[in-house]
Amino acid sequence: MLVQRRFDNLPWGLVLLVVIIAAIGLAAVYSATYTSRGPSSLFTKQLVWISAGFVIMVLALIPDYHTVGRYAYLLYAVSLVLLFLVMVMGKTGMGAQRWLAIGPFAFQPSELAKLSVTLALARYFAEDPKRGGYELRDLAIPGAMVLVPLLLVLKQPDLGTAIMLLLTSALIVVLAGIHLRSALLMLVAGLVIAALVFAVAPVRHKLWGSLKPYQQNRIKAFVDPSSDRLGSGYHANQSKIAVGSGQITGKGYRKGTQSQMAFLPERHTDFIFAVIAEEMGLVGASLLLFLYLVLLLAGVDTARNAKDRLGALMAGGIVSMISLYVLINVGMALGIVPVVGVPLPLVSYGGTSVIATFLALGILLNIQTRRFMLFY
Amino acid sequence: MYQQQDSPEAIQGRLPLLAAFIILAIVILFIRLWYLQVVKGAYYQEQAESNRIRPVKLRPPRGVIYDRSGRPLVENELVFDISLIPEDAPDLDTTIERLSAIVKIAPDAIRKALEDESNVRTSYDPVKIREEAPWGEVAVVEAHQDDLPGAIIEPEHLRYYPYGELASHQFGYIGKVSQSQRRKEQSDIGMLTGQGGLEKIYDKLLRGVAGRRLIQVNAAGRKVKDLGIEEPRPGTDIYLTIDLDAQKAAEEGLGVRAGAVVAMDPNTGEILALASHPSYDPNLFPRGISPQDWVKLMNDPRHPMYNRAIQSVYPPGSTFKVIVALAGLDSGVIKLDDKVRCKGFLTSGKHSFRCWKKGGHGAVSLHQALVESCDVYFYTMGERIGWDRVAEYARKLGYGSLTGILLPDEKPGLIPTTEWKKKRTGEAWYPGETYINSIGQGFVLVSPIQSCQMMSAIANGGHFYQPMLLKRTRNRETGEVAVFSPERKNQITLDPGALQEVRSALVGVVNEPGGTAHSAATPLATVAGKTGTAQVIAQKIAGRKLEGKQQDHAWFVAYAPAENPKIAVAVVVEHGGHGGSVAAPIAKKVIEEYLKNVGPKTVR
Repeated sequence: MLVQRRFDNLPWGLVLLVVIIAAIGLAAVYSATYTSRGPSSLFTKQLVWISAGFVIMVLALIPDYHTVGRYAYLLYAVSLVLLFLVMVMGKTGMGAQRWLAIGPFAFQPSELAKLSVTLALARYFAEDPKRGGYELRDLAIPGAMVLVPLLLVLKQPDLGTAIMLLLTSALIVVLAGIHLRSALLMLVAGLVIAALVFAVAPVRHKLWGSLKPYQQNRIKAFVDPSSDRLGSGYHANQSKIAVGSGQITGKGYRKGTQSQMAFLPERHTDFIFAVIAEEMGLVGASLLLFLYLVLLLAGVDTARNAKDRLGALMAGGIVSMISLYVLINVGMALGIVPVVGVPLPLVSYGGTSVIATFLALGILLNIQTRRFMLFY
Repeated sequence: MYQQQDSPEAIQGRLPLLAAFIILAIVILFIRLWYLQVVKGAYYQEQAESNRIRPVKLRPPRGVIYDRSGRPLVENELVFDISLIPEDAPDLDTTIERLSAIVKIAPDAIRKALEDESNVRTSYDPVKIREEAPWGEVAVVEAHQDDLPGAIIEPEHLRYYPYGELASHQFGYIGKVSQSQRRKEQSDIGMLTGQGGLEKIYDKLLRGVAGRRLIQVNAAGRKVKDLGIEEPRPGTDIYLTIDLDAQKAAEEGLGVRAGAVVAMDPNTGEILALASHPSYDPNLFPRGISPQDWVKLMNDPRHPMYNRAIQSVYPPGSTFKVIVALAGLDSGVIKLDDKVRCKGFLTSGKHSFRCWKKGGHGAVSLHQALVESCDVYFYTMGERIGWDRVAEYARKLGYGSLTGILLPDEKPGLIPTTEWKKKRTGEAWYPGETYINSIGQGFVLVSPIQSCQMMSAIANGGHFYQPMLLKRTRNRETGEVAVFSPERKNQITLDPGALQEVRSALVGVVNEPGGTAHSAATPLATVAGKTGTAQVIAQKIAGRKLEGKQQDHAWFVAYAPAENPKIAVAVVVEHGGHGGSVAAPIAKKVIEEYLKNVGPKTVR
């Protein structure tokens, strides 16, 4: 009966929205990976991932979200262990014959980490409310909670996910309520550090040197796209050409010359939005943007209607995370954000990302269905 | 647990901020989308149309494979292929006709090549027309680019095995990726990957990363200019544990006979030589082996693709006496002064079991029995120790289980027990079976690498190492070197006195009068070893000369120098005849070649 009530409360419109976005994504992956031999096996894989994601989303509705909150730290610990394993195994990978045993199954713990950090922060701030906002010293523990996975992810190196972790956490802190003076202090400190880094040559040099060559190239390419036509600048340029040449109505499904001809790199993952924009034009691309907007605002609404701090913070955190992914990914395809390599939620090819996004949406829906309930 | 009294209102008050942020960002994205697609739409449309940039794949050279002292065993040879991108030829027939005249391949053959590829290639994938084109043809095609739209020159690094069949079972071979592999690994068409042996195991290291050259072509498919080149990243070079000289000695020793040689450093588990004959030439594969050659290899009754060193299991013959001796001494059943009288045969019930020496050895001690390989002594001792205990020692010394070498399809062989026989056949173990198994006949089956590992353990005092093939890797770009250290799998404890006695008898086999392996003696070092002559047919038929397929397998297992072992060897020659005269000289050559390189230190 309880289950019955839960499904009565389920916002079916929101579920439908998720289905539509995922369907658009699948169609785009099908088109982007299509070969002259027929559909790619990547499409089939993505179909399996999406289906599995749906099941996980439904499963995430069953427990009370407080239960989810109770396991947040455990999940966080698990993803730390996984991240650590990646680092260790990555090391012995070259040093021993063991990398063979890792197998064909590529699981990305960093994708899980982004969700678990969000949930863990939500729980932390929910349990430790501060009237008038958090001061700097109150942020030491949550800061450490973010920093550890952040460094592990950076070590991989996965600059994109690290940046996303940082931005998402920042949004959550703002939502949880940071003391205005502290916020300004952090902002100023950040700016000063940034300024120092750029002003003091030795420091800058050292930092620049610590970046991997491909990361240096990406930054250079963003500053001056024409500097590197083959590398990252090439990606951004080709993406802009693909998007722009789609014009208003697009070239038609599977008729995108840029994306079909393999000019566009990473077209089924990071640059999937460019494929959609080229083949579906402004009409299709802005429809997708609109769908995301509705989904995200519905998420904000869920947070607003949540019964308690935990619900509000979890929902707010999840929405922050998903919206940052959407904004950065699309911005990248449109050439206004540096190429950092983050997936477009529900749309980009990639198993772990799809599963993590569906799990996050399941928790969001969970909070939504329980907004009228009385708690024990 | 949660502070549910705390109202969520404070947070919810800030939520409109989040909503505003999202709306604002999406609006910015929409404006940008509008700008690109509507305002600048026509401009990008034009860009897209003139975007006739052809990424030409530049395949990386695979990592070079060296021996332990840096001598190349597997290399690459730069060759040029003439290929055709049909999408770039506005008038395909003309291009085909002209190309045909240059490369002297009939136009129809070219069309057929295009057609054959048509269902596996993606658009703008070049189709190979002429592989390893001679310089003259390459120069003509390059010079007449304008008249040959669509034709391109593709540099390729052709895998080359300078020693042909040498160590081919270790290298495996490389070939075009299969359709399923290509889907799985997203590798490109024409990419060559390892299909067996080390080429496959270390494929990810050896493969490297493809680069590309971007060329801009005009509407007629002609090259307008080079836009740049992204150099391919060469594969990582690997250094094997193999010693080229020892390997050569093993290969030459086996010659045309079927058999295998495995040599190992007993202190590390490094494989110093590993040969299996008959062999195959891996140079047949990189261009795609011809169906005839493939059928020939597959149907050859001598199975040249089979890696006998790890995949074939043979009765160990008298080399197994080492195990029985060790079992007897270590368990205390055999005392050093125990003697057995050999009169040339032993009767048990109705059956009579012969010693290889017709007149018998007389009264023999363990030392003499091993040195002269007396069968009757080991029949007797096998019975006294009890078969299952012998089997226990055989297993402890690595028989019956895999050594764990990374090469594919290693076979474990068989160490039977009385229980195993009961389960398998429903029959009890006969005393006579203890006899014949004690001299390495009957059910016992071992692989050459297991025997090599066994001798290593005797030489080093009971340590078992993971057999290593890879010594180090070197990244050709960064110069980064990764060195692999030996990995000890386990250690068994054996009575030091027992070990000493067996070792001294093994030295006697090669160096004492009456020993069965004088042919293994070398001035470079004291060799310790044991011969074996494994019967192919079940019982010796007195007085009949055995020939061909009925001839015995010749075994020799050894290590050297006896005082400070640096190399352990196992040799088997199928149907070779007597171990002492056939297998031992091969082992001797391998030992000599290796010790020459490392310096034997204990020169006699």
